[in-house]
Amino acid sequence: MNNIQQKTKELLESGACTLIIGYEKGTGGKARPVFVRKAEHAAKLIFDESCDQNIAGYLYRQEIKNESKKAIVANNHTLKSIVELASENQIHEGDFMVLAFTAEGEIIELKSFEEIEKHVATLYHGLNDEDKATMQKIEAMTMEERWGFWENEFSKCIKCYACRASCPMCYCPTCTVEINQPQWIPVPSHTLGNLEWHVMRAMHLAGRCITCGQCAKSCPLDLPIHLLTYKVALDSEQYFDSVAGTSVCANNVLATFKTEDHENFIR
Amino acid sequence: MARIGVFICHCGENISATVDCEKVAKVASEFPGVAVSVDYKYMCSDPGQNLVKEAIIEHKLTGVVVSACSPRMHEPTFRNACAEAGLNPFLCEMANIREHCSWVHEKGDATTQKAIDIVRTLVEKVKRNEALAPIYVPISKTAVVIGGGVAGIQAALDIADAGHKVVMVEREPSIGGHMSQLSETFPTLDCSQCILTPRMVDVARHPNITLYTYAEIESVDGSIGNFNVKIRLKSKSLDEKVCTGCGACIQKCPVKKIPSEFEQGLGMRTAIYVPFPQAVPNKPVIDRKNCTYYIKGKCKVCEIVCPTKAIRFDQEDSFVEVQAGALLLATGFDVLKTSAFPEYGYGKYKDVIDGLQFERLASASGPTKGEIRRPSDGQIPKKIVFIACAGSRDPAKGREYCSKICCMYTAKHAMLYKHKVHEGTPYIFYMDIRATGKMYEEFVRRAIEEDEVKYIRGRVSQVYEKNGKLIVRGVDTLLMGQPVEIEADMVVLATAGIANQGSEELAQKLHVSYDKHKFFSEAHPKLKPVETNTAGIFLAGACQSTKDIPETVAAASGAAAKVVGLFSNDMLKRDPLIAIVKKSPPPVYSSCTGCFMCIQVCPYQAIDKEEIKDRNGNIIKTISHINPGLCQGCGTCVAFCKSKSIDILGYNHDQVYAEVSALLNE
Repeated sequence: MNNIQQKTKELLESGACTLIIGYEKGTGGKARPVFVRKAEHAAKLIFDESCDQNIAGYLYRQEIKNESKKAIVANNHTLKSIVELASENQIHEGDFMVLAFTAEGEIIELKSFEEIEKHVATLYHGLNDEDKATMQKIEAMTMEERWGFWENEFSKCIKCYACRASCPMCYCPTCTVEINQPQWIPVPSHTLGNLEWHVMRAMHLAGRCITCGQCAKSCPLDLPIHLLTYKVALDSEQYFDSVAGTSVCANNVLATFKTEDHENFIR
Repeated sequence: MARIGVFICHCGENISATVDCEKVAKVASEFPGVAVSVDYKYMCSDPGQNLVKEAIIEHKLTGVVVSACSPRMHEPTFRNACAEAGLNPFLCEMANIREHCSWVHEKGDATTQKAIDIVRTLVEKVKRNEALAPIYVPISKTAVVIGGGVAGIQAALDIADAGHKVVMVEREPSIGGHMSQLSETFPTLDCSQCILTPRMVDVARHPNITLYTYAEIESVDGSIGNFNVKIRLKSKSLDEKVCTGCGACIQKCPVKKIPSEFEQGLGMRTAIYVPFPQAVPNKPVIDRKNCTYYIKGKCKVCEIVCPTKAIRFDQEDSFVEVQAGALLLATGFDVLKTSAFPEYGYGKYKDVIDGLQFERLASASGPTKGEIRRPSDGQIPKKIVFIACAGSRDPAKGREYCSKICCMYTAKHAMLYKHKVHEGTPYIFYMDIRATGKMYEEFVRRAIEEDEVKYIRGRVSQVYEKNGKLIVRGVDTLLMGQPVEIEADMVVLATAGIANQGSEELAQKLHVSYDKHKFFSEAHPKLKPVETNTAGIFLAGACQSTKDIPETVAAASGAAAKVVGLFSNDMLKRDPLIAIVKKSPPPVYSSCTGCFMCIQVCPYQAIDKEEIKDRNGNIIKTISHINPGLCQGCGTCVAFCKSKSIDILGYNHDQVYAEVSALLNE
């Protein structure tokens, strides 16, 4: 804990950084993102188990894009998102500093995308036990049961788009749902329209979702919508050996063809 | 307000037999925005087209829907008619109520209703069409001819004589192809090499032709008018500029027992070799798989004896890139090997040979200097059995097609044998005799009547060896299926002509379609026999299906005429149905996020990056940009763009959405 405050304080005092994007203590035992610009405020910064929010999305926000000396305190999800965003040309090497942590909790500065890639390669990529169990439960269902399950979930969605706002990969300034000529996705919230939104979101994240689960964590109705993008991510890995957020120079899984690609899903 | 004209064609009875065209016209006249709706028996005829033209002027139409056949058939016809009447051609659309409706359904109300629905979707689309102008791109007036057999040679000479540059790419060390292996040619029995080799020399000498032998196509980018062809020049281990072709290296090469490809394995060659004495270019290459130096690291005899020091052991493959306006495929064919026939001994009997091997035996330049001697012991065979349709017309062998050339060359083989071995007896087992060319039937009759070739109509079930003879067991179906057994000294199988090795890979590199036998497909079997479905890529000769020499040469000249026709224009006119990245006013400039996944996904390398700069030259945003000269309008980028920032002109989101909505909300 102290070493993050120490390190960021030094960065701000020396002028190496003018902005630190990190976490502070929030309410209800949760951490929340914080922007620290003064050395005396560095004491606010924390990094522990509670800091599980993916904050990579701040890096390309118009408001801070042009700040030249910024640093981000990155958890594992954030690191993977940084790699994926870099592969999609949304952020560029040298535009920001990355402060990450070793398995022992030691703070380290990752100086290049290559170093981030190497660090990411040491991290766990799979799902947590709870998600695995839900996924298995859904996969064991018949098609009708599965439809019923999702119909029930989608009927509750209020289309607040918190999932979109929280996802670092949803960076389009004009989202498909906001295009009204033609109107691809209906504006009001109803089961079918909600389903269209979530299916579109899953497909737009195919090969890009780094499985942080931020969408579900942000959902005010606690819908398990992260499982949709997880499923596509797992399929990308299983069929095409493609894991998002692991390589800065990787092409998107749906944009590339390899002769050894499986075709067993084409019937 | 839209004023759309709808023109329903009966297509004789093709449409009107199952669709009530009058009703379609009447219902369509009530669609919102339709100013005029008529039906006519032949809309594509002159009076039919006049109907369209007059309506455009009389009703001041803003769009035209011709509901008739597939746009592949008559879209250009009606777009031209519209242009003549002063309407932008891209405001004219075809509603396909023939292939998509009348041809595939029974007569009835439902069929008529479907035709009405199809017309409605196109009316909704055409209301949203915009006037477009064609794109003009310059043409690189160089043709790349792939394959240096007789087809490639003919096509290259024709194009080069018309004044255009030709680059010929041949996989083998010499041009000439299969024709250079043949002894005499039917139906005139003139010597194959005598008529071919002068043309080979013409190719080498022609100022407009650049010849690359021992070379292969590495990759092809671009499209009609502007292909970028990368050619791999395989290392010949030799400096061709220094080599004089004296042949000292070939004489001294210690590795002499390599089965010669040119002699079809009946003769031997050295590791440094020219395929045959009349080869063009007549300079050797080192076959690295068999050369002692490359295997064991020492020898270099050829380097020592070479008077001009032309040998280059460390030479590597090199690459050349050619900007070409057209590609011409003349990669030829191959024949099935005798090893494909278990019933005829799996290729283990030395005296069971294929037709190409017999050509070498009969050739004056062949391994036996033109004497017919059996490969096993060099004896002159007293009886030869020729088996036609070996593998052809045989669904059990997976080849239901007729190889077309075997009837004629088998008759020729039997005749050549009889001319050289007067006391010999040739037998031919056949299914049918197909001799449909000019002077072909006369040629076969001559074989039967003058040269006493014994034709037996029937199949051969088995060939086996017994006491130094080959026992051929067959059946004579003209004698009520009576079994026939012949003790032969040699058996010649007229094996099926098959697609050349590597043709599938090449087709994939070039995006050319091919059939299940891996022969390249023509764009239309009757009306576009030398074109492929990829614009700017043409076909000549046996790479399309097995062909004899006259037919191959005719096809090659036909393909060459197509290339010359293309090159007679300075600019290529293309439909503007291409993708564009949508722009918007500042400060947004474009909804494109610059993720550049469209670049990854574009199969034509048509997309690059565009920097939007302020007046001081600072970059504000980098977005995708589509090169209109390269884009083929396939729409893959449109489907991939998450922010829907790319549209296809003539098929934009709004138009397609309107079409679908018109179907769903009738």
